[in-house]
Amino acid sequence: MYSADIRQPLVTGGKTYANVTEDICRPIENKPTKSWWTGFIIAIILLLVLVVSLSWTVWEGIGTWNVNKSVMWGWDITNFVFWVGIGHAGTLISAILLLFRQKWRMSINRSAEAMTIFAVFCAAIFPLFHMGRIWMMYWTLPLPNAFGSLWVNFHSPLLWDVFAISTYLSVSLVFWYIGLIPDIATIRDRATTKARKFWYGLFAMGWNGSAKSWGRYEIVALILAGISTPLVLSVHTIVSMDFATSVIPGWHTTIFPPYFVAGAIFSGFGMVLTLLLIVRQVMNYKDYITTEHLEAMTKVILLTGSIVGLAYITEFVIAAYSGYEYEQYAFANRMFGPYAWAYWTMMFCNLVAPQVFWSKWARTTPWFIFIISIIVNIGMWFERFVIIVTSLHRDFLPSSWVMYHASWVEVGIFLGTFGLFFTCFFLFAKFMPVINMAEIKTIIKDKE
Amino acid sequence: MGHHIIKEVKQEKFEFTGRAKLVAIGLFVVGTILAIVGAMDVQEHWDDPIDKVETSSESDAHAEEAHEDHHATLAQHDDGHGGTHSEETQDAHASEKHSEVDTHTDSHGPTWMSRVWANLLLNSYYFWLFAVGAIFFIAVNYVANAGWAVMLKRIMEAQSSYLIIGSILLVGILWGAKDTLYHWSQYFNSADAGNPGSPGYDTILESKSWLLNNGSIFFFIPFVLLVWIGIRWKLRSNSKAEDETEGLSMFRNSSRWSAGFIFFFAFSFSALSWLIIMSIDAHWYSTMFSIYNFAISFVTSLSVMMLILQYLKSKGYMEMVSDEVVHDLGKFMFAFCLFWGYIFLSQWLLIWYTNLPEETIYFDARLTDQFKPLFFINLFMCFLAPFLVLMMRNAKRAPQVLLLAAAIILIGHWVDMYLLIMPGAVGVKSDIGMLEIGTTMAFAGIFIYTVLNSLSRANMYPVNHPYFLESVNHDVGP
Repeated sequence: MYSADIRQPLVTGGKTYANVTEDICRPIENKPTKSWWTGFIIAIILLLVLVVSLSWTVWEGIGTWNVNKSVMWGWDITNFVFWVGIGHAGTLISAILLLFRQKWRMSINRSAEAMTIFAVFCAAIFPLFHMGRIWMMYWTLPLPNAFGSLWVNFHSPLLWDVFAISTYLSVSLVFWYIGLIPDIATIRDRATTKARKFWYGLFAMGWNGSAKSWGRYEIVALILAGISTPLVLSVHTIVSMDFATSVIPGWHTTIFPPYFVAGAIFSGFGMVLTLLLIVRQVMNYKDYITTEHLEAMTKVILLTGSIVGLAYITEFVIAAYSGYEYEQYAFANRMFGPYAWAYWTMMFCNLVAPQVFWSKWARTTPWFIFIISIIVNIGMWFERFVIIVTSLHRDFLPSSWVMYHASWVEVGIFLGTFGLFFTCFFLFAKFMPVINMAEIKTIIKDKE
Repeated sequence: MGHHIIKEVKQEKFEFTGRAKLVAIGLFVVGTILAIVGAMDVQEHWDDPIDKVETSSESDAHAEEAHEDHHATLAQHDDGHGGTHSEETQDAHASEKHSEVDTHTDSHGPTWMSRVWANLLLNSYYFWLFAVGAIFFIAVNYVANAGWAVMLKRIMEAQSSYLIIGSILLVGILWGAKDTLYHWSQYFNSADAGNPGSPGYDTILESKSWLLNNGSIFFFIPFVLLVWIGIRWKLRSNSKAEDETEGLSMFRNSSRWSAGFIFFFAFSFSALSWLIIMSIDAHWYSTMFSIYNFAISFVTSLSVMMLILQYLKSKGYMEMVSDEVVHDLGKFMFAFCLFWGYIFLSQWLLIWYTNLPEETIYFDARLTDQFKPLFFINLFMCFLAPFLVLMMRNAKRAPQVLLLAAAIILIGHWVDMYLLIMPGAVGVKSDIGMLEIGTTMAFAGIFIYTVLNSLSRANMYPVNHPYFLESVNHDVGP
């Protein structure tokens, strides 16, 4: 394929095919570094926080959370939507960017997909534990009544969520694993220890690198990309319907589906940037994740941040226009009510802060991007908090108006999910190639 | 792929032949005559009782009921004035039914002129969307550093040239139609406005006066359009200048303008869609509305682009545009049909599920009487048919199939626009006849003339565009 002269190379530093294998296998074949251990231990400590908080929740009951009759969804569902949203970038990068033939996706898709899977794990914790009896979690599935549950309610978007997210998780997992097979085989072939030979051999599933295998591999990747593309849209569409099918002012608004999808991509790219900037620095992958990559990703952040901002403004203007006083009050309460600080944090982080990426300097300065990516993560958490809590805490009945503040258990679970997320991610970075060697090799001579 | 890489492309120039001119002018003239005859016919028969009253009084009663429901819903909000409000509704109905020559009592109900203006608005807006979508697509291609579509850039530019005349027509028609089509405008002109004691006082409309006012129509809309036209002019003149100059200066400059345009466009287009179309049903609102309009704009402008490309290819131009590029444009059409379907479903499903009367009234009106079949035709032509037609790979490479798909999409979205405008602006007396077809033909004539004329004013290929050769050698791979 012909590339214009002004395109930048996708991989810098004049890497050869051998270099790629060496660079990407190094962390797997060598002993973990000090910085890996430090990060891993912190993650494990946070994971312990999760275990303690969840155990306490199960032991004592949902009463340990501060959710109440009015604010029946608090941090839990905020965190659920937050993590599901983060899970979106992976599939977007691997599927939609594949369909758009964006080659820059190749150095970032592997870790983004891994991130997706871990984020969905984290997300699933919240609704399941919110049900109170985690050992009954299979009741969310449509099982015959003989299993003890009543037949599930197919009218409920919460059930649609079960289907949407489990489909999403399984397709993402398959996509990720299939992409890993050739790379696992490479590690198998280079293995020097018996254990490594056995385990990587097992997971390589007899990959032999023949032309036929590669042909099938590419076809499967395309088919999975086709299947995943609607999933990128459907998952957050369904999540948005958890809110939008209600009659709650601030929740029931028709723009929610595409607005949630844009928000999810926005937050997903925020997290991808946070992770990849660390990976790039710690593992020294600056030749693979180049400033070109950062620029492309920051442009996506700018675009989706602006779409989200457009949705905020649309909602606000239409609420003002609606002539519907409850809707108007919901927005006035968001902006000037007791949770105004959350609203303005959200506005700043999601709409204002990404606008710095209009500047080329901002798009190409890693430490600065890192800061903004953290701000984006914070902003998107607040977005869900604002939507959920401000609409619930003052409902139609003023006598049931309350304030809601999370308990230590809720905070603990949220922090703990970061432990789970990063534990998984560190293990992934240690045992799996974080960059797709096979795909990168096809483009080391190519341009963006 | 081992292909030979093409480094040189022979420049072409489109010749706007006398015959093509004649077709465009002919369309305009015939369309105008048809529209005038149609309008006279509509005027003559406006006071006739609707056929359906005799044949199926049930459905008419249903419509009537729906209409009253609408007002009843509004009256609920209208604390303290509810009773008097519905009386006024009855009056309006009476005048709508009998439609005496007396223009005074008539001012609230639709007249035959409503149908004329509504048609003009429909077509001026619809064709204008093609130009809007084209300039948006140019900008997207710059910002995304897309290479594949560079060969089609002059088509997009020509299509966007209609923005100027289209905007003038749209604004002119808006100004003319304001008092006839927009319920809110009639209201604010009436003595009831700003007078809580009056029987026709409408709290909801009063609360919208900050947006629905003359300032928006006379200043805000023209201002936005001027900015767009300015940016479009800049992009076009950069593009032409690029043919004469080497280097990247024009490309870089256009990229910057494109990024700015997309940002400004997103916000301003939303506002325009609310003001021009959503406010026809002034009591109703939906946050999805602007995105819905954007979806229409984008998918129709891609289809128009495909039509122009196939027309040029059939005339022996644009031979260098390979099947790969055509295929990709076809994919875009396919994708944005799905996008429209997604947006339609999201809006529809949420309103259906929640079942709030002030929201469902909008679709209720579109699911009764003559609008009901159109509603399903709309879904079929805008989503299902193109989805099935364009799904196969070979379909997106076959000119005839692509022409068919583009035609389905364009007619489908005409119906789509019809359903957005007519139930609110004309009501049960709207129909599709000579007037509608003639007006559409006349606008098509203007559009075709403008676009082909613009196409003949520049080279066919932007050869100095940095990604031009990527487009020429575009190859998706196996």
